[in-house]
Amino acid sequence: MEDPRNRQYTNDEITVFWKPAKCVHATTCFRELIEVFNPGRRPWVDMSAASTQRIIEVTDKCPTDAIVWKYNKDLSENELQASTSTSEEVNPETLSTDPETKPAKVTIMKDGPIVVEGEFKVIDSNGNELKSMIMTSFCRCGGSHSMPYCDGRHRKIGFNDKK
Amino acid sequence: MKEKSAQFRVIENKSLEVSGSFEIFNAKGELLKSEGPIYLCRCGLSENKPFCDGKHKNSGFTG
Repeated sequence: MEDPRNRQYTNDEITVFWKPAKCVHATTCFRELIEVFNPGRRPWVDMSAASTQRIIEVTDKCPTDAIVWKYNKDLSENELQASTSTSEEVNPETLSTDPETKPAKVTIMKDGPIVVEGEFKVIDSNGNELKSMIMTSFCRCGGSHSMPYCDGRHRKIGFNDKK
Repeated sequence: MKEKSAQFRVIENKSLEVSGSFEIFNAKGELLKSEGPIYLCRCGLSENKPFCDGKHKNSGFTG
């Protein structure tokens, strides 16, 4: 039985399949290509934001096959029909995690963003809570157009930890 | 005793304050800090990355 939370996203050439049940929050997809795989956005996958080649490269790095891809010409009848599904989307950010309270894991990516996973909240200067999530990445280069979150611009501006 | 969950305060035009229960690692997986509050650079200009050193001041950084 197909998991009703599964989704697929397509461009002219390929379709990416998202299977939330297989996601272990490795965060590889959005650390490498947040323009396409952005858990803070709905829908969270934007197939128009990078080349097909780049999407294939990053999709292939998913350690659990939570995201996999196929050429559109190879899709089965069922897969072609499934692309019209409209029910509520689950993404890596809204998936439930281990109920046990653990320290939030914060990773400073080389020449990249601050990636946060686990139990945490985000507030603004005045103490107002921003949207709740279990995973996010904060801009560290100063160049994001989606402050305070990373939008991948560190690569365009050549952000370097050593400068 | 249950520790307070981590909190990230986005300080307007300045740094990111991290407090509560957290662990910060570098890209190699080495633990940098686990006690707050600490202040992370958001403007890209700090000479003590990933921590804030006040360089955002007078830089025109907004966000």
